Amino acid sequence: MKITIAGAGEIGTYLARMLSNGNHDITVIDTDEDKLNLIDDQFDLLTIHGSATSFGILEKALVKRADLFIALMEEEAINITSAALSKRLGAKKTIARINNKEFLIKGNRQHIENLGIDSLIYPEILASREISLLLRQSGTTKAYNFCRGQLSLFAIRLEENAPIINKTLREAGEKSDKYYRAIAITRNGKTIIPYGSDRLQKGDIVYMVTNQEGINNLMKHTGKENFTIRNLMIMGGSRIGQETAKNFQNHANVKLFEVDKQKSFRIADNLNNSLVLNADGKDIEFLKSEGLQRTDAFIAVTGNTDTNILSCLLAKRLGVKRTIAEIENMDYIDLAENMGVDTIINKKRIAASHIFAFTVGPQVAAMQYLTGTDAEVLEFDVSKDTKVAKKQLKDMNFPQGSIVGGIVRGREALIATGDTTIKEGDRVLVFTLPQAVDKVIKLFS
Amino acid sequence: MLNIRIILNAIGLLLLVEGFFLLLSAMVSLYYGDPGMHALMITSSICVVTGFLLYFFNRGAPRQMGKREGYIIVSTVWIVFSIFGMLPFLISGVIPEVTNAFFETISGFTTTGASILNDVESLPHGLLFWRNLTQWLGGMGIIVLSLAVLPFLGIGGMQLFVAEVPGITPDKIHPRVRSTAKQLWGIYMLFTVLEGLLLYINGMDGFDAINHSFTTMATGGYSTKQASIAAFSPTIQYIIIIFMILAGTNFAVSYLALSGRFRSFLKNEEFRFYLGFVALFTILITTGFVIKNYYPLEEAFRTSAFQVISLMTSTGYVTDNYMAWGAALSTLAFVLMFFGGSTGSTGGGIKIARIVLLMKNSYLEFKRLLHSNAVIPVRLNKRAVQPFIINKVLAFMGFYLLIFGIGTTVMSAMNLDLDSAMGATIASLGNIGPGIGSVGPTSNFAAIPDFGKWFLSFLMLVGRLELFTVLILFSPAFWANR
Repeated sequence: MKITIAGAGEIGTYLARMLSNGNHDITVIDTDEDKLNLIDDQFDLLTIHGSATSFGILEKALVKRADLFIALMEEEAINITSAALSKRLGAKKTIARINNKEFLIKGNRQHIENLGIDSLIYPEILASREISLLLRQSGTTKAYNFCRGQLSLFAIRLEENAPIINKTLREAGEKSDKYYRAIAITRNGKTIIPYGSDRLQKGDIVYMVTNQEGINNLMKHTGKENFTIRNLMIMGGSRIGQETAKNFQNHANVKLFEVDKQKSFRIADNLNNSLVLNADGKDIEFLKSEGLQRTDAFIAVTGNTDTNILSCLLAKRLGVKRTIAEIENMDYIDLAENMGVDTIINKKRIAASHIFAFTVGPQVAAMQYLTGTDAEVLEFDVSKDTKVAKKQLKDMNFPQGSIVGGIVRGREALIATGDTTIKEGDRVLVFTLPQAVDKVIKLFS
Repeated sequence: MLNIRIILNAIGLLLLVEGFFLLLSAMVSLYYGDPGMHALMITSSICVVTGFLLYFFNRGAPRQMGKREGYIIVSTVWIVFSIFGMLPFLISGVIPEVTNAFFETISGFTTTGASILNDVESLPHGLLFWRNLTQWLGGMGIIVLSLAVLPFLGIGGMQLFVAEVPGITPDKIHPRVRSTAKQLWGIYMLFTVLEGLLLYINGMDGFDAINHSFTTMATGGYSTKQASIAAFSPTIQYIIIIFMILAGTNFAVSYLALSGRFRSFLKNEEFRFYLGFVALFTILITTGFVIKNYYPLEEAFRTSAFQVISLMTSTGYVTDNYMAWGAALSTLAFVLMFFGGSTGSTGGGIKIARIVLLMKNSYLEFKRLLHSNAVIPVRLNKRAVQPFIINKVLAFMGFYLLIFGIGTTVMSAMNLDLDSAMGATIASLGNIGPGIGSVGPTSNFAAIPDFGKWFLSFLMLVGRLELFTVLILFSPAFWANR
């Protein structure tokens, strides 16, 4: 696929890296030569120095032959302009990053499409959606729904009280094959696709696929319970913070801390049912006086990664059940998770994986990226003449680094085991590391 | 330096407008063949000549108008209008004393409706018409009217508009001031005509219908009858109730509703509170009547609704003597005098939006005490209100209560008892008309000493221009070298 990325900012760079591993021709446009040089040195792609709204530059980047044009600069107006121009110049599909929810309203969406922009991406909204999802499944570290909610994936951090600790997957699975299956483990910052002989350890984050009937069993065996979020503290009035507050302010008691006075007023204007406090979230005594100990979840989404990590650790130590930190610096992610921050949110990764879904072929019915791991989740609809149909899973040579999690057959949601057979018409959920993506797709086409 | 010549120039222009309306009244007089015509014709001529001279000799004035000039023009034009406006009463001899004539006229222009006349019905038609017309002109505002009709009042239009219609935040329904003024007057005119027609259809005679529609829409309260609206049928009273409610509603909101955005009525929080207050007081007083067996249910409802709306919107029409309701209900009537209409309406008083903002602000103080650093803005129409606006409202309230206190003291010094002193003060400051005590609904202001009448006239003007436009002229900061 021929892909043009306008904007070598954080998201653009991350996306370029992600895509350059695959079989794509990538061109990156940016006005900052230093950033381009950095990318050029690291990855196998072409960089062009110049403005993404210039006809000359767009022509030079051969936008007319691009399959996908992605505008990821800071300014949404520039993104929209360059995406619209690229479409006119012949790009097949265009995506623009935005900073304003108005564009997503149904009536307005049509105007954007008329401009020639196929998809919009709003990283902050995606991140806040992810936070909301996490908080709704409060016992687990992360939760995702697949195949219209028939299959769910939970990421669970194993603590000492988990009954399945120190058992191999085979032992743990004896009673429960029908209900859940571990498809990935993150241990010491590395994601592994596990085999039956792998032993579960304390501190592992295990990714379990389960269906509706299996959720209770899964919670019991991992020593977790869901709790309702009644008090929520959000540190930082970033767009992520505001959106999250909006999602929860009508169900829970939301307190949002913002350092900047002017900004706090605007936030208070925007959030009619949250308590906005003009204070530095690092002021421990103040947080305590506002009831940090009694809060059910603490979300740190200031622009500063260090602050986010430190305040989450502090909240954790004071007994907050659930902490979520936004971390922009990739190198800190493992560190923070190991230190005890429950969940890490990374805007770049979320956005990049969202875009990544556009680059896979039509064989893939849906795709999702698992934050905090390297793994992708792909959904396939099985057609008659694919290689995978009519064989038991254990007899198949599934690519290294990928695993089948579950199958939806009509109304039934099955958890995959070695004896499972894939049939025509199934929807199959596959977990895979990036290096195996292409092979898995080939298998299903 | 103040640009005095532009001030004189503008006042000259505005006098031409007054001259025209005096001429109109003279026409009415001519039609009825009554004795007031000469006085009206003479005054009209004086107005036009003075206006023309002022305009003509200052036409070369530098075309600059700042905020100071704006405040001075607006404050003085109301006084100048009242001075010329009282001449027909003086010349015709209907009101022989200057003090009384001025009081009656400024009470008209400021839509107060406090009167010194003991027998309204004896006035010639032309003069009655002029008396009610002053209210109609003052209702939407002299400046707003002139902006709408005079194309050459273009310079400084915004300054003048803001000085005359301060409100809480300027409500512009059109980017150009003149178009805003035209649209506001359009709605005002439309409602007036509509009410006049409805009153006429339902049995009022033509002259009364026109005059009452003038003073209803202006929330003025002058009537052609000594008994005020009590002289008319229940149907008429209900029609007037409806139009008083409209007159007390923000005209910008009515404009939006009429131009197809009907939901703006319901979305407007001030309007919802306005109706809420009306409903609350009507229910309270109706219940009071029923419990005391004072009136049968329908009459109880009609009387309380009429009086509640009349006093709250500062119209000041009377269908019943609210001083005779008994202590509790009469006190409710007095409390109502502090409310006023909506911002951007023709109603006087403190105004609903200010009351709502202050109530909310005070209530939120509890929450603020618990959370020291919390940013807890007051919300109106779902938007957070900037703290500086709350400050303005607080300053307004401070002055309002201070003036009420001073006014009551001054009036007490005129040998009025406390009830009457408070009543006279709030009735003038709130542009209501009838007060309580010896200036209550069944009596009038004739017995108040001359100084008292001049003082109350001043309060009317201060109240009509929402305090600051007039008070700023007395502040050292205004006259300090820029």
